[in-house]
Amino acid sequence: MIQLIRAELQKLFTTRIWWAMLIVMLLLTGLSLFFIIFFAGEPAQNGAPGLPALEDPAWLPIGLSAASGGTIFTMILGVIMMTSEYRYQTITGTFLTTPQRGRVIAAKLGAGVVVGVLFAVVSLLVVGVTCVIAVLAAGGELDLTGNRVPQIVLGVFASLALYALFGIGLGALIRNQIAALIGAIVWAYVIESIFGAIPALQVVGKWLPGGGAAALMSIDVDTGLGAPDLLPAWGGALLLIGYAVLFAVVANLTTTRRDIT
Amino acid sequence: MSAIEIRNLSKSFGPVRAVNDVSFTVEAGTVTGYLGPNGAGKTTTLRSLLGLVTPDAGEALVNGQRYTTLAHPLSEVGAVLEATSFHPGRTARNHLRIMCTAAGLPARRADEALETVGLADAAGKRVGGFSLGMRQRLALGSALLGEPKVFILDEPANGLDPAGIQWLRGFLRHLAHERGAAVLVSSHVLSEVEQTVDNVVIIARGRLVRQGTLAELTQNGDTAVRVRTGADFRPALEEAGARVEEVEPGVLRVFGMDTERIGQLALDNRVLLTEVTQERSDLQQVFLELTGDEPAAAVGTEAGR
Repeated sequence: MIQLIRAELQKLFTTRIWWAMLIVMLLLTGLSLFFIIFFAGEPAQNGAPGLPALEDPAWLPIGLSAASGGTIFTMILGVIMMTSEYRYQTITGTFLTTPQRGRVIAAKLGAGVVVGVLFAVVSLLVVGVTCVIAVLAAGGELDLTGNRVPQIVLGVFASLALYALFGIGLGALIRNQIAALIGAIVWAYVIESIFGAIPALQVVGKWLPGGGAAALMSIDVDTGLGAPDLLPAWGGALLLIGYAVLFAVVANLTTTRRDIT
Repeated sequence: MSAIEIRNLSKSFGPVRAVNDVSFTVEAGTVTGYLGPNGAGKTTTLRSLLGLVTPDAGEALVNGQRYTTLAHPLSEVGAVLEATSFHPGRTARNHLRIMCTAAGLPARRADEALETVGLADAAGKRVGGFSLGMRQRLALGSALLGEPKVFILDEPANGLDPAGIQWLRGFLRHLAHERGAAVLVSSHVLSEVEQTVDNVVIIARGRLVRQGTLAELTQNGDTAVRVRTGADFRPALEEAGARVEEVEPGVLRVFGMDTERIGQLALDNRVLLTEVTQERSDLQQVFLELTGDEPAAAVGTEAGR
């Protein structure tokens, strides 16, 4: 199995898409971090308290949580890891080398965790260093153990890894690369945000992958619509794993059983 | 135990019966040509053999096992399928290295295989820039990674230039006759494999129509001798026991009698013969008769499915 996971990682890192994704992820994460730094301490427009000031210990976890914006990119990579096999028909060679198709899917899920963790490391390094500099420059005290900072860091690791799994499961289910990518992006940016932001829909929203990821980090930032209703952090993690396993199992029973012609 | 055994294999795609109760075997040390027009069911048979397609009935076994149960498939079977199954952004070497990693083979096998198929210079180039012939060589390289003893090749000559085809023929013969491998190679162009194969299996519209050695296929016992003469030679021939057909005035086709006997008869009857030719059963002709297909479809250049 280790061999197969290594082969899957080799597949990803011998093509160029991964670093394109990494760069775009860092740019977008950087942009959102920029706003979190820029608007720190500013009251919201309706006069309600907005983001805490940089020197406020409550700011650091919010700044660090910008790294969780990478989920969409590990999800896209996950979708690509699966669907490019069908797009370029490399699935033929893959199944000739490993005829037990379930093992191939399992290896891809394993590789997805590794990719998610690697992306989380890079993202957290960039975001973390920037946050530390911002806090120290503003004269704040650095507290890396309090204020849910460890939980946020763990949450970033878990959510980036689990979204990669989510993407792989989705890709196994929808073999058409374009359809799978559009589906994933529409889901993450449109459907999830609707269900996550509107309190009346949060009953459903907390059970969606985005709700799971938010629960993982307990990012209960008040968006002005009331504090979101979320599962406990462990529940969020289980939820995301559940989605990935569900997709992979369904894919294993349907799509990947089909004849390769 | 045969290296490859197809037993009563049937497979339908929707209403289309792609393969219908086909059985044949391929032994070690031989090259078997799997011939038929496009759409005859060749690719479906080979893909069933490789576990990519699940047959509706029957079995397709390699070394006595189904492909999906082989512990080290790349070390037992080398397969060449379509030429397009590479990621265009990946280099030739990386493509083979990934297969080595997944199969637990040492990474150096990738370079060795590229060397064997003559792609050593292009090892670091992205496959996207490869010609069809180079992709075909790369596919062959991937089949060689595990140094298997069974080879399954689907239209491997497609896209190769004449020199490449010549090389491929020699290589397949080398694999079978010197390294004792069992080679099953499909083609819709008979002349491509005519000089390479020991045995032929012919399939048309999903059904097996003939199998045997190449020699058996051409010697169908019914060959005629073509005789041209101005004299009335027919009664003498028929009296001597031959069956005679008049092709056109002065040209006869004589069945059941060899050229020496015909010459003797002509001498005895003082008949002048201006031509005595042993007709050879042309393999291409046999192929077309057996597959009952339009010549255009049988000798076209499109890949069969």
